[in-house]
Amino acid sequence: MLFPTVEYALFFLAVLAIAWSLYRFPLYHKSFLLLASYVFYGFWNWSYVPLLFAISLFSGLVAQRIQQSTDKKIRKRWLMGGAAACLATLGYYKYTGFLLLNLLALWGHLGRPPRIPLYSPLLPLGVSFFVFHAISLLMDCYRGKVKEPVQLGDALLYVAFFPQLIAGPILRASRFLPQLAKPRDPHRVRVNRAFLLIVGGLFKKVVISNMLATRLVEPVFAVPQSYGGLDTLLAVYGYAAQIYCDFSGYTDIAMGCALLLGYRFPRNFNAPYTSTSPQEFWRRWHISLSTWLRDYLYFPLGGSRKGAARTALNLMITMLLGGLWHGAAWTFVAWGGLHGALLVIHRFWSRIAWPPLVRWRTTTAWKWTARLLLFHAVCAGWVFFRASSFEIAFSVFTRLGAAGPATLAATPVLIVLFLGLAGQFAPARWRNGLELEMGRWPALARGAALAVTLTTIEVLGPTGVAPFIYFQF
Amino acid sequence: MQTTTQSIRQMFLALAGGAAMTLLLEAGGLVSWAHHLELGALRTVAVPAAERMERALRPLGLAGVRQQALESLARVGWSDDPALLAMVSTPSGMPSKTVCATDAAPQGLTLAAGPSSKGAPSLLSEQRYGFLNAAGAQAPLVAGVPHVTALTPLPPVDPGKQRVVALAGDSMMAVGLSATLMRQVAGNGHLRMVKTFRSGTGLARPEVFNWMDEYPAMLGAEKPEVVIVAIGANDAQGFVVDGKVLAFGSEGWEKVYQQRVASYLAMVSAGGARVVWMGLPPMRIPTYDEKIATLNRICYTVVSQSPQAVWWNPAPFVGDESGHYREFVTLANGRPMRIRAADGIHLSDEGAGLLTPVLLKWLDPPPPVVASVQTAPVASLPPPTPAARPKRHTKRAARG
Repeated sequence: MLFPTVEYALFFLAVLAIAWSLYRFPLYHKSFLLLASYVFYGFWNWSYVPLLFAISLFSGLVAQRIQQSTDKKIRKRWLMGGAAACLATLGYYKYTGFLLLNLLALWGHLGRPPRIPLYSPLLPLGVSFFVFHAISLLMDCYRGKVKEPVQLGDALLYVAFFPQLIAGPILRASRFLPQLAKPRDPHRVRVNRAFLLIVGGLFKKVVISNMLATRLVEPVFAVPQSYGGLDTLLAVYGYAAQIYCDFSGYTDIAMGCALLLGYRFPRNFNAPYTSTSPQEFWRRWHISLSTWLRDYLYFPLGGSRKGAARTALNLMITMLLGGLWHGAAWTFVAWGGLHGALLVIHRFWSRIAWPPLVRWRTTTAWKWTARLLLFHAVCAGWVFFRASSFEIAFSVFTRLGAAGPATLAATPVLIVLFLGLAGQFAPARWRNGLELEMGRWPALARGAALAVTLTTIEVLGPTGVAPFIYFQF
Repeated sequence: MQTTTQSIRQMFLALAGGAAMTLLLEAGGLVSWAHHLELGALRTVAVPAAERMERALRPLGLAGVRQQALESLARVGWSDDPALLAMVSTPSGMPSKTVCATDAAPQGLTLAAGPSSKGAPSLLSEQRYGFLNAAGAQAPLVAGVPHVTALTPLPPVDPGKQRVVALAGDSMMAVGLSATLMRQVAGNGHLRMVKTFRSGTGLARPEVFNWMDEYPAMLGAEKPEVVIVAIGANDAQGFVVDGKVLAFGSEGWEKVYQQRVASYLAMVSAGGARVVWMGLPPMRIPTYDEKIATLNRICYTVVSQSPQAVWWNPAPFVGDESGHYREFVTLANGRPMRIRAADGIHLSDEGAGLLTPVLLKWLDPPPPVVASVQTAPVASLPPPTPAARPKRHTKRAARG
C-alpha cells in the first residue's frame, strides 16, 4: 500500500478513528496498531508477514534476555548472537544474489564455474529497515538505554509500526518504547504540524519527484548517449532533487501520520543541500540512518578516538557498509566510498590551521563556495547511486561535456527542479509560522484547506504514482 | 497564548471537513480511482458508491472545474498523458482516461450492450476503447507456443535513410530491453528508436490505460517501419466487460483478450509496419509463470495470423535448457551475469543484452542480405522436445 493512494487514505482514516477510540485501553490500542501494521504490510505480500513477526519476536525475546542478565559477558553474547541472526536474515534476503554473482565471477577466474541453477531469494519489502529496528532494540537494551523492561507486545509494535515500516525513519528503541509505555494524550496532538508534513510530503513525492523521474532522470540514465551536456547536467541535478523529494517526502508523510496517531518520529531530513561540509551533510541527510551507523558501527569501531589513520579507516568502513546497505551492487559501494573519501578529506582539510585559510572559512563567500562544491560532489555520488552499472555512470559523466540542445528542459520540469532544490533554503520559521497561524483557524476551515491542497496535488500529479525509491532498500 | 497542539475532537472535525470537501472536489477523480482498482471486494463496493456520489454532486459543477484544470495543465505541457496532450492540441481529438474513465464512454453504451450468451466480447463495449474485431481475433487458440522462433529477414536499410523502430509495450519493454536497445543503437545512423511504451500498463484494463488512444498519441507523426512489442506482464488479471466480471483464463476472458491483442496488433501494424511481438519470458513464481503461458498462447495465436507480424520467443535466450526461468548465466568466457531483475519478472540490462544482438542484426542487416536470421543460439541449446512443439508451431518456425 503506497502512501499517496486513496487506499492508504481510507486505511489510515479507519486506523486513526479506531486507534483513538481505544486510547483509554493501551493494551487494545497497541494490539490494534500492531494488527493494522501487519495488514498494511500484508497488502504487499502476506507471505512475508511471518518473517516480520519472527524478526520482531526474536529481537524482543533476545532484548529481554539481555535486560535480565547482569553478567556482561552473557549480555554481550546475547547481543552478538541476536545481531548476527538479524544481519544473517538481512544478508540472506538482500545479498545472496550479489554474493553468488561475485563468487561465480571469482570461480570463473580459477576454472569453469558450476552449471547448477542458482537463485537468490525475493527481497521482502522494507527488510533493511525492520532488521535495523530489531538491532537497535538489542543495542539499546545492551547499552542500558532502554530503562524499563521490554514488553514483547511493545517490541513487536516498535519493529512493525506501519508509518515507518517500509522506508523509515529508523526509530531508536530507547526513544520509541517510552512512548508506547505511556497512554496517548487526546488533548495534545500536533494536528497542524501533521497536516503540513503530510501535504508537504505528498507534494514532494507526487508532483516533484515523479515529474523529475519520468521526464528528466529516467530518459537520461537509460540512454545517456542520446543526450547532450545540458540535458545530462539537468538530469543529474534532477536526480539530486528527485531522491531528496522522494525519500524526505515519504518520511514527512510517515511523521505526519504518526503525529496524528499521537506518536513522534525523529526528524530524518533537514535541508541537506544547504550543507557546507560532508559532515554537515550527513547530519542533515537520512539522519536516522547516519546516526544509526554512527552509534552502532562507527563508535564500536573506535570512532575518532584511535588516531587520524584509524579514524579515516573507520569512516571508510562505515560509509562503504552504508553504501552496501542501500543496495547489493558495487555502484552503491562506490557511492559509499565516495562519501567516505569526502569525509576523510574534509577532516584533514578542516585541520589546516593556516590563519588566512581559517579566516577565509568564516566568510559568506567561502560558505557558498563550499556549499556548491559539496552539492556537486554529492551529485557525483548520486550518479553512481542511480546508474544501473558503472558503464552507465561513466557514460553520464562523459556526456556532461558533450554538445547538444537541451531537449528535456521543459518549463514544468524546470519549475519542479527549482522547487525541489531551492525549497530547502526556505526558512523553517515559515512552516512554524504557518502551523501557528493554522491554529487560529476553525477546524472545518483547516479541513477545507487540506482538501483543496490535496486536490491540487492530485491534479498536478502524474496519472500513476511510482513506488518510493527507498522501498527497494 | 498560541499552542501547537490540539485535541482529537478538533482533529476529527478538521478531517471530517477535509473529507467532505475532498468528496466535493474529487468526485470525478474518485470514480476514476474506483475503476482503476483491481477486481475484488473493494472495487465491487467502490465503483457504484463513487459513481452514485459523482452523479449526485454533478449539478454543482465542481467536476468540471477539475477537468478544466487538467486540460489547462495539459496545454502548458504539465500532463504526462500523451492522449490528453493530443486532445488539448486538437480540440476534436480523442477523449482521455485522465479526465474520467467513465466520461470517455458515450453514455449508456455499456448498458446497451449486454454480454453474449457464450461470453464472447461485446463489440459495442469494446469499441468504447477502440478495440475492433481485427484479424486473428477469432482464431482458435493454440495449445502451446514454439520454443525456438525465427525472424523473417528485413531488407537492408536504404542508403542515406533511417529505419524508424517503435519500441512498444509495458514494463517488459521499459525495464531493461528498451534502454539496452537504445544504448546499442546510439550513434547508429541506420536506426532510430521511438518510445511508445509505458510501465504499469497492458491490454487487460483499458479503463486504466487505453493503448488504443495512447499509442497513436505517443507515436505522433512518426511512421515506424518496424514495431517491437513486449507487453502483457500486467494482464494476468480479471476484468469487467458489460458489467460482467471475467476471471482471468476463463473462456470469456480469453476471447476478449484475444480481440484486444488483435486490435492492438492491427493498430501497431497499420501503415505496413513489420511487427516483432516478443513473447513474455519465463517467470520465477510458478503460478505466475502459468498465467504468462496463457497470455503467450493467446498472443501467439493472434500474431501468427498476421503476415506482417512474427511472434518471437525469448525463452531460448533467457531461460534454462528447458526454457524455464533462470536468474544467472555464465558466459563462455566464464563471466557470470544476473539476467533477471530482483522481482523475478523483468529482464536486467544484461539479460536484455542477450536478446538485443539478434534484434539489432535483424533490424540493420549487413549486406549482402542473408536468407534468414537464426534467432536462437541453437548450437548451445538442445532442440525443443516434440511435445513442446505443436504442429502449427513447427510450421510457423519453419516459415520464418
